[in-house]
Amino acid sequence: MNGFKPLDPLLHSQLRLAVVSLLLGVESAEFTFIKEKTQSTAGNLSVQLDKLSEAGYIKIEKSFKGKKPVTTCKITKAGITAFEAYVNALKGYIE
Amino acid sequence: MSEKELTGQESLDLIREMIQQAKSNYQKGGSFHFLLWGWVVMFANFTHYYLEAFTSYEMPYIVWVVTFPAGIISAVYGARRKRKAMVTSHLDRMYGQVWVIVGVGVIVTLTFMPKLSYNHNAVILLFAAVGTYISGQLLRFRPLVFGGLALIAASIIAFSVSVTDQYLVGGIGIFAGYLIPGYILKSKEK
Repeated sequence: MNGFKPLDPLLHSQLRLAVVSLLLGVESAEFTFIKEKTQSTAGNLSVQLDKLSEAGYIKIEKSFKGKKPVTTCKITKAGITAFEAYVNALKGYIE
Repeated sequence: MSEKELTGQESLDLIREMIQQAKSNYQKGGSFHFLLWGWVVMFANFTHYYLEAFTSYEMPYIVWVVTFPAGIISAVYGARRKRKAMVTSHLDRMYGQVWVIVGVGVIVTLTFMPKLSYNHNAVILLFAAVGTYISGQLLRFRPLVFGGLALIAASIIAFSVSVTDQYLVGGIGIFAGYLIPGYILKSKEK
């Protein structure tokens, strides 16, 4: 073993990691879907999504479904790379 | 979900659970397109065959105009479903893209009908076979896989008969390749 690699603090948080893992498995997902699957509150999820978006890990698009505003999230290439690095670093902690 | 410090194992469990959640969310309603196109193309094939083989009507191909409204209905239905869905899986996207390129292939084939000496029906059956077979494999739905193989068989037969008879073969092929698996798929979607 070559010691512990630091874990990306942006991903090493329960809700943010859940969001990124979920988005990794789909093409794109709406806010309500992510909220339901991660069982989070709208307020907290909103804050965490903004943090991930600021880091460039996810892309957030706002649009309208009729008159209802809809937020759609999608993982970016940077997000996938960060997730892979996180999982690799995690291996060091598990072994 | 709280913001407590995660252990390595908890992180892995969380990742596994979320990937699992993402997996089970395929959009339903794929049968609509198979049934719509199945009926429209079968009707057009049989009508064209009847007009060409048994009447002296000079423009039997006019029956194919029914595919224009079908194209519009298909596009509107697809767009509406997409708008309604809360999530789009990788599979949903792939599934859609397969049929986009099949559609492009069919349009190119129709554009060069004279160069194919009007054997385009056999080529179109091949395109339909490829789309149906891949759809069946993506959905892991065997009736569609067999539907694709039935369309391959129809294409081979179509290549071996006269241009007029190709319409009869095409109609039967679409019945076996689109409508039968389409109805089985519909019954599974409920």
